[in-house]
Amino acid sequence: MQIRPILAALRRHKAGTILIALQIALTLAIVCNALFIVHERLDRVRRTTGMNEANVVAVQNLYVGSPGTYLPLMKTDLQALRSMPGVEDAYVTNSFPLRRGGWSTTAQRTADGGKDGVQSALYFGDEHALATLGAKLVAGRNFTSSEIASFTRDQQPAPPQVIVTKALADKMFPDGNALGKTIYYIKGRPSTIIGIVEKLTVPWIDTDFIDNVTIMPLLFDSSYQHFILRTKPGQQDAVFKSVANTLYGVNRMRVLPEKNGVRTFEMVRAAAYDADRGMALLMSIVCGVLLAITAAGIVGLSSFWVGQRRKQIGVRRALGARKSDILSYFMTENFLIALAGVVVGVILALGMNQWMLTQFEMQRLSFTYVLVGVVVLLGLGQAAVFAPALRASRVSPVEATRSV
Amino acid sequence: MLKMTHLAKVYRTEVVETYALRDFNIDVKEGEFVAVTGPSGSGKTTFLTIAGLLETFTGGHYHLDGVEVSQLDDNARSRIRNEKIGFIFQAFNLIPDLNVFDNVEVPLRYRGMKAAERKQRIMDALERVGLASRAKHYPAELSGGQQQRVAIARALAGSPRLLLADEPTGNLDTQMARGVMELLEEIHREGATIVMVTHDPELAARAQRNVHVIDGQVVDLAEEPRFHSHAHTAHS
Repeated sequence: MQIRPILAALRRHKAGTILIALQIALTLAIVCNALFIVHERLDRVRRTTGMNEANVVAVQNLYVGSPGTYLPLMKTDLQALRSMPGVEDAYVTNSFPLRRGGWSTTAQRTADGGKDGVQSALYFGDEHALATLGAKLVAGRNFTSSEIASFTRDQQPAPPQVIVTKALADKMFPDGNALGKTIYYIKGRPSTIIGIVEKLTVPWIDTDFIDNVTIMPLLFDSSYQHFILRTKPGQQDAVFKSVANTLYGVNRMRVLPEKNGVRTFEMVRAAAYDADRGMALLMSIVCGVLLAITAAGIVGLSSFWVGQRRKQIGVRRALGARKSDILSYFMTENFLIALAGVVVGVILALGMNQWMLTQFEMQRLSFTYVLVGVVVLLGLGQAAVFAPALRASRVSPVEATRSV
Repeated sequence: MLKMTHLAKVYRTEVVETYALRDFNIDVKEGEFVAVTGPSGSGKTTFLTIAGLLETFTGGHYHLDGVEVSQLDDNARSRIRNEKIGFIFQAFNLIPDLNVFDNVEVPLRYRGMKAAERKQRIMDALERVGLASRAKHYPAELSGGQQQRVAIARALAGSPRLLLADEPTGNLDTQMARGVMELLEEIHREGATIVMVTHDPELAARAQRNVHVIDGQVVDLAEEPRFHSHAHTAHS
């Protein structure tokens, strides 16, 4: 190896060397963090809801007029929806996973509302809710029709029975015996846990209580509702197209918003993670552009150096260097510059992550990303320098005898 | 040591063929100091590049130290250049980014020599040209004469069988040129085979034997030059 003379020669070309090493360092720092963000976002996008998401249609409904109570309208609509050809089950609710809007409260173990509460999302529904969502009951039982009550905006939701997710149950009762226990959503009004579902996520995608959900056997007497339908396999498209007409056929005094009025769950999921996918795409593009710019920088500088050193290459060939020696000279030279760049880059990447950790509550950068970044940049450097190095190796030894 | 017979070097373009060397014959014995002279464009530099295996030739034969070189591949030619030939160029051709020590080391590294042996040879060679104290200097910090001495040290460090010098004093003033020439003569006296290309008759006169090249061919200076005989024919 000719590392020492290469380093000696590089010391005489400090500006170019430092610039390209810095470019590699910055690229590594940004690419590592950007790829980490991409991975984080894609992980979120892939997160499951605990539902059986296939064959689900969600309808956003706003009753117009002031009928006093909306309960009869809701019940008629539900009857119509459940009778639709292609519909397996349906229920009406205030919210559902990935809707990005809904209710939450603090569940307490004591009646007086101590400070040991656990945050939980609230979903209202009847005995059809679990089947429609496809949520899996792992302990206890479902609601019965006789347990379904209603409440208005002026009242507080505190039914005698609730079904909770396992995550919430475990947080409330770490001993693991939550079933049958009493919890309080409203001070002094006990609810008994009659069932536990394996998993169901909250409507929001950015909370730290993503799996804490309570399902209450309630109908919310309000003009604004969401109907959730489970269709028979293969019938989702047909139901998606005809559900609005069915509802308008029952009662025209309503608004189903043109946009997002009727959505399949795939659409709900896509909308929920739109920003995440956008961010992942943006970060990927930033990575691609940065890597391309760095590669172009390396190709440019290497080509310039090869052009500048034609005579020197000829002299080396005259003194006995084989083509492969010249090729390896330039590859090694680039490797050394890139190595200096990645060493600085690793420090920068970790520093940048530390900063984002405090500023944006990002997670700690996994060292795998740094390692992958290092390998990618060293590889990129070698790939970028290969063509100029190959050109250099083809310089004839007779170049040594030519006057400039 | 160096024997070319009926050697030809033709540069071809689509429309024209130019003979840089034609039926070129030369035989340099071991231990000889031969000056190859001739006017500009006569082909003496082409001869040197072919002799030094820097370029291939079109026809004829070239034996270097008993080896017919025309069939050798690029790697084999590189190895012969490295092991058997020492080059001294008119423009010194030191690598400006490397100091004197590293410059002299270049051919030794390509030979894969161990560091300790390299160091020994480099210091011996620099000692011989009187520049051991300048080992850490860069070429730009040396005079032209000193740079050429470093180039000679680089050529000598690998103990080559043949030294090829291309106008070795062409870029030097008279005093420095004299010093370099004396060094070459000293090296020759110690047994080296030297072939020097020059257009300077004074320098050529200091070699053991002169070979004159005109229009790509070796001309025997004992005979009347051809263009004279042509002129003579025209007048008769």
